[in-house]
Amino acid sequence: MGRYYLSKLGQALITIVLVVLVVFTLLRFMPTTGYFSKEEYKEMTEVERNAYLRSIGVLDPTLVQLKNFVVKLFQGDLGRSITVYPKSPITEILADKVKYTVLLNIFSLILSYAAGLSLGVAMARYKGRLVDHLGTVYVVAIRSIPSIIILFFVQVGLSKLLDLPMMFYIDRPSSWILPVLSLSFSSIAGTAIWLRRYIVDEENRDYIKFARAKGLSQNYIMVRHVFRNAIVPIAINFPSDILLLISGGLITESLYSVPGMGGLLIQSIRALDNNLVQVLVLIFSTLSVFGVFLGDIFVSFVDPRIKLTADPQ
Amino acid sequence: MREKIFEARDLEIQFNLRGRVLTAVRKASIELYSNETLAIVGESGSGKSVFTKSFLGMLDKNGYISGGSLLFEGQDLAQLKTEKEWLQIRGKKIAMVFQDPMTSLNPVKTIGEQIREVITWHFGTDKEEAAKEAVRLLGMVGIDNPEARYKQYPHEFSGGMRQRVVIATAIACRPKILICDEPTTALDVTVQAQILQLIRQLQKELGMSVVYITHDLGVVANVADRVSVMYAGQIIEYGLVHEIFKDPQHPYTKALLESLPQLSGRDRALHSIKGSPPNLYHEIKGDAFAPRNPHAMKIDFELEPPFFRVSETH
Repeated sequence: MGRYYLSKLGQALITIVLVVLVVFTLLRFMPTTGYFSKEEYKEMTEVERNAYLRSIGVLDPTLVQLKNFVVKLFQGDLGRSITVYPKSPITEILADKVKYTVLLNIFSLILSYAAGLSLGVAMARYKGRLVDHLGTVYVVAIRSIPSIIILFFVQVGLSKLLDLPMMFYIDRPSSWILPVLSLSFSSIAGTAIWLRRYIVDEENRDYIKFARAKGLSQNYIMVRHVFRNAIVPIAINFPSDILLLISGGLITESLYSVPGMGGLLIQSIRALDNNLVQVLVLIFSTLSVFGVFLGDIFVSFVDPRIKLTADPQ
Repeated sequence: MREKIFEARDLEIQFNLRGRVLTAVRKASIELYSNETLAIVGESGSGKSVFTKSFLGMLDKNGYISGGSLLFEGQDLAQLKTEKEWLQIRGKKIAMVFQDPMTSLNPVKTIGEQIREVITWHFGTDKEEAAKEAVRLLGMVGIDNPEARYKQYPHEFSGGMRQRVVIATAIACRPKILICDEPTTALDVTVQAQILQLIRQLQKELGMSVVYITHDLGVVANVADRVSVMYAGQIIEYGLVHEIFKDPQHPYTKALLESLPQLSGRDRALHSIKGSPPNLYHEIKGDAFAPRNPHAMKIDFELEPPFFRVSETH
């Protein structure tokens, strides 16, 4: 068991290193003109430009740059942004942005699971009846209408209807409601439809029939057997969801002008901000890879049939 | 003397299937005496499972008892409506074991927990006490080292062992009646014999009546005191096991016995019953088996044959 975790951990680390290496190397092939604004580029002489590039370290051989990046990383220094927020330390930029995104996403995560699980249970419980049909309409609508249209209607329509602010203000709690809702719609639909399906599957199992023959009540069976088993495949995503709290919703955050993480990666790629790109890639890939890894471990605790061993018998 | 503890009288069960009504059980009657073993035999679709499931109120949602009565402990179970009333009977006084032990246990709960919950549920026993009882039950059904096995999960057990666990669960409340729905079909032959032996031994120890549902006449001859033969939702013949085997009266029973493979008749073709059972959507006129009976008389197609008393018990 322990050996299995170690080997999985090793694989996870190797994946991360590979991702970072590839991105790092590719970024070095980008033209250096991207490091200047138009005006700067025109004003500076060739010598000045080279001096500047050397000062920020992008003219060093790729391997040296990589070494510097890694060494600084372990000293807790993520480097400085080049073009997006010129000269600001990346740690500060992130610290500032992460808090909005994480707060919004925590609320959204709680709402998604609370609403998604309840809706899923209700749909399965009243299968083929009104609740089920309404739930299906909701899920199909969310899945088939482009999210940008839904989000737009939420922002414009709901804000009028409920008299809520259309923009995000950190100090006005009421302005948090719409962004949180917007972030949750699609995950509620996903959780609900999968849970419904797993519950319906479980209900038809022989051991549920036998549990009924044991004289246990419908409610008892529903909670202790059906739901308990149906939640396993949902639970595997839970660790990833928690770790990826810091990745913001691109569209939602820009619609409500949330100064969060959403869009930062795309922004920095377009601006050729090598330093920022590689730090973000490192962070996101680490979190995704570890999310999956923790999901595997988590599930092995929830489902005793899953025994994690390095060598299958 | 033998005491009648359960009786199904003229039971009729119908199903609603997309607006059509299917009569799965047509006026079937059985009597069950204390400490005896009754086998209900019949081919697939003859209604034997549906019939016995109704004893526990476990018909599917679209099925219902449309006539007759189920008399048990001075009560007519056919009249029970609510889940609450049924929970006093189901699993507690009448228990059931299903065909496939591989899928009868919840894979993510320990087997001990699955036995324990029945005891706690029906008697309100506290967990520790109930757990001790569960360990005792595991020992009773012949599982070695029950304390350690209590904490294991179903996938750590073989098919035969799982069926033992299932049986332990079923007898946890010391039921009066144990219904075994083809309990050995999914097991290999040596294990089958062990399980049948175990059920017989528990029956003696606990004083239960056992109902077997099976199409395996070998099992019937082995364990049953009395046999009811079911065809197209009807009990067409019943009697003591030797009466049915030696002196079958109904043509279907005869045909059934003839289709048993004989060790002696190696070069004879195996007898089979031609045709298939009648469509239960339609009302059946006359003897349900007549269309498949080579010796049927004209009257068999028109009138339902009456029951003949062959002996005191047949």
